[in-house]
Amino acid sequence: MREQPLKEVTQLIHAIKVGLVEGSFGITNKTLDIFKYIIISKSWKNADALMQIVRAQCRILQAALPQETVTSNIARRILKLTREEFDLLHAKVQHFADDSQASLSLHKLVTQTSESNVSVDYSVPQQGLREALLDHLQEVETELETSSENICVQAEEHIHSSEIILTLGHSRSVENFLKRAIKKRQFLTIIVAECAPASRGHNLAASLAAEKNVEIIVIPDAAIFAMMSRVNKVIIGTHSVLANGGLRAACGAYTVALAAKHYSVPVIVLAPMYKLSPLHLCEQDAFNMVGCAEDVIPYDSIPAREAKVYSPMFDYVPPELVTLFISNTGGHAPSYVYRLLTELYHPEDLEI
Amino acid sequence: MPQITETGKEFDVVKYFLQLLDKDKDMSYGIAAIRTLLMILEKKQFGTIHILHTTMREAVAAMRNTDLSIAAIVSAGELFCRFITLSLDDKHMEECRLIMINRGKIFLDKLDNSRQVIAKQAQRFISDGCRILTHSRSRVVLKALITASQNKKSFHVFVTQGGTGNSGEEMIRDLNAAGIDCTLILDSATGYVMESVDFVMVGAEAVVESGGIINRIGSYTMGLCAREMKKPFYVLAESFKFTRLYPLNQRDLPNEYKYSRKHLSDVSKVHPLVDYTPPVYITLLFTDLGILTPSAVSDELIKLYM
Repeated sequence: MREQPLKEVTQLIHAIKVGLVEGSFGITNKTLDIFKYIIISKSWKNADALMQIVRAQCRILQAALPQETVTSNIARRILKLTREEFDLLHAKVQHFADDSQASLSLHKLVTQTSESNVSVDYSVPQQGLREALLDHLQEVETELETSSENICVQAEEHIHSSEIILTLGHSRSVENFLKRAIKKRQFLTIIVAECAPASRGHNLAASLAAEKNVEIIVIPDAAIFAMMSRVNKVIIGTHSVLANGGLRAACGAYTVALAAKHYSVPVIVLAPMYKLSPLHLCEQDAFNMVGCAEDVIPYDSIPAREAKVYSPMFDYVPPELVTLFISNTGGHAPSYVYRLLTELYHPEDLEI
Repeated sequence: MPQITETGKEFDVVKYFLQLLDKDKDMSYGIAAIRTLLMILEKKQFGTIHILHTTMREAVAAMRNTDLSIAAIVSAGELFCRFITLSLDDKHMEECRLIMINRGKIFLDKLDNSRQVIAKQAQRFISDGCRILTHSRSRVVLKALITASQNKKSFHVFVTQGGTGNSGEEMIRDLNAAGIDCTLILDSATGYVMESVDFVMVGAEAVVESGGIINRIGSYTMGLCAREMKKPFYVLAESFKFTRLYPLNQRDLPNEYKYSRKHLSDVSKVHPLVDYTPPVYITLLFTDLGILTPSAVSDELIKLYM
């Protein structure tokens, strides 16, 4: 039986598809609003019903927008929140209190009794669940709103005066991060790879050039390797972070990361927590997307009649090329991502 | 309190252990070890915790003395001892024993199921038309491949002979029986086939604290090759194989792991049976606890033995 999408969900899908809602932050925010709406208004009677609605709507979003992993990430957050609040209210705390993040661990394998082996029955109606959930949803919202700021405040720790920084394309977190650094540090040089064919790097360069005391250099993507030898640090944003600490980032990120590896330049990736996704590279039929070919070769040009043109949107960057992730909770090594994921999501929600 | 004589006990343990393995060829040494230990718990009465612990330790020592590779026996034995410590209560000894037996059954059920769980996890990584390289024979890899084949996926498996013995040939026989396309290759052809495979999938005798693995000799070579040719190197291992051991290099591996018993007195002229693959060569570990990166292994061990 097909699940029916809510009106809000259809509207959001439409808005994203036509580009009215852009950027991971915007999409995450809007998705959260929908789930909040579901929690407030939908006539769910118990936690189980709520979780089913959330899952169903998430599956619809996923099917319509396979490349936007943030929607499922936020749904997983909601599901985990529901489980936690339910357990708390149900006074089943003793079994989960110290080990809430992992239903599977060696420790649990050894210590479990038949009693804790029984899974919790979420279909029992629970007083006060809605209020408790809304309370905690507020926390998630605040975390989301402050995540950009929390990443920015770490700029000083990583960028020092007279450094040469290279970035790629236009990520909003990177823009704010660099702006903060420009205010605090002097004689910075920022090299922006334009990230053709969309050339969003130009926008970033224009935005940064408005600041004082900074030299901005825009380079074509082909010059990334040539410029890398003099760069002190690479700072990029990412579309999402995969379970192994690898990146799905704008096309060109792999080039940057490989060039940085060649010259032993540290690669810093700005990734707020909502971009952490528990997926592996293998299971992604929708890992890449092809963009508009018109930007590469105009449709009415002569070669366009003969040539096949592809304009992929994403690159996979393996975890060993990333030096550090900066999230709103601090800096993490790629090998630590799995740990953040176990804290963020419930293992049973990895597959929605 | 009935006391068992030293000889009688040893006889029982090893015989039962070997019988278990003999009856079910597919049983992992680790599971057999835990089954044996549980059997002791069920059969005997213990006056004190101390006696219980010594009995268990002696039983593990006896099983180690058999001519089987000891890695899984050691880790399973350790896990079981930890299990006893963690399930102790302030209650009477006999009550404790009953609790342990009860919990032990649940524990064993989980372990028995682990191979299935791992096989299921590996499914998404085995895509239609892919080519897989595996080393020698591993029951959990076999299970994963058979499950994939049952899911109507068609793929090709390259199996190395696996050094001494005919374990590679056995694997080929099993794969053929399941209707899976496969080729037996020489161990020395690892480098040759590496360029044509999509990923490597091996089992493990033990997973050590660093996240590296101890496995039949040749695995390290395969890891090095895979790394050089940028192929993913996946390890399938049940969580009872997690061992508290931190080898720094090959020489650092304890001799009991590397050589069979009869050669232990002089190892200068024999070649080792296993090698150590450091964590940098491993892409992911598929365990019944989930798909882990090598660095997650130490976390699990710390959580248990803290």
